[in-house]
Amino acid sequence: MSQEPSSVEALLARFRYRPDEDSGGLGELPTSTVEADREPGVDELQLLTFGVGRGEYAVALGMVTEILRARSLTEIPRARPPLLGVLNLRGIITPVYDPSLRLGLPSTVPPCAGPDCEHPPRPARILVVRTALGPAGLWVDRVRGVQRVRGGGLERPRGGPTGGVVGVLPTMEGSCSVVDPEWLLR
Amino acid sequence: MSAESQAVEVCAFWVGDAVYGIDVARVDEILPRVVPLPIDQAPAHVEGVVHVHGTAVPIVDLRRLLPVGSPPRTAKPKVILARIGRRRVGLRVDGMAGVRRYTLADIHPGGPVPGVLAVTADECRLLDLRGLLADRAAPPRVPL
Repeated sequence: MSQEPSSVEALLARFRYRPDEDSGGLGELPTSTVEADREPGVDELQLLTFGVGRGEYAVALGMVTEILRARSLTEIPRARPPLLGVLNLRGIITPVYDPSLRLGLPSTVPPCAGPDCEHPPRPARILVVRTALGPAGLWVDRVRGVQRVRGGGLERPRGGPTGGVVGVLPTMEGSCSVVDPEWLLR
Repeated sequence: MSAESQAVEVCAFWVGDAVYGIDVARVDEILPRVVPLPIDQAPAHVEGVVHVHGTAVPIVDLRRLLPVGSPPRTAKPKVILARIGRRRVGLRVDGMAGVRRYTLADIHPGGPVPGVLAVTADECRLLDLRGLLADRAAPPRVPL
């Protein structure tokens, strides 16, 4: 069957997705806009908040490429504590680290690699972050969500050696430390 | 325009006994189990809303807008979170049929059903999603 390619192209113009296409006439549907995709404003930051042990932390959302449900890892013989094991992430070998040591907390990660590994707890996640040496995973106990903050919404970390804690974000439940993911892996 | 850019990638799914497709770029997510919250005075094809990552998304049952038959027995019902412009809707479908790639030569304009723009060589009906959902008469509001 032969037809004018231009007519097919005209039809496909209605088929293809454009972010700026007209979405009027859907009046009866309750509104749901693609809020998460809104470009962050001038001095607006997007933070991914997560929990490790009893603490709440946040990293810049741009550093995180993926959030995985925690799964059992491949054991590395004689791996030293922050390194838990490795993960085959679509063909890329990704090391997974336990951030609790760096944060000065008791480790909450169950044995997750090797023969005596346990089933990971349900809310546990692995944050895959971009680093200079390729992707790396951070085992966290739970992921809260994304929070947008204006530059002024962050407080300076209170006293003591701050290390990789960049700022403190006041939240409803208390506060949440904004950390540098590269520091957690070091 | 190169042949590469003229190809379309289609997210294909079953509704009844036919395969339909929407642009892959529209698809945000595919949810396995969704129990929408019914909304009062919604059009018949809107099942209700669900909360997805903090926003309320209306769920549209495509089986009430397109002809139905029995889907293949292996099909697992899903909800496709799709975008129309800056808006988002959930489409309830009978099952997924994968991502397919078509060139312009595979696409034949005209569809057997309203809302279908074109049919591909392997009988995938390409939907005009906005045309299908827009401007449907809302049921008359009952004055309070």
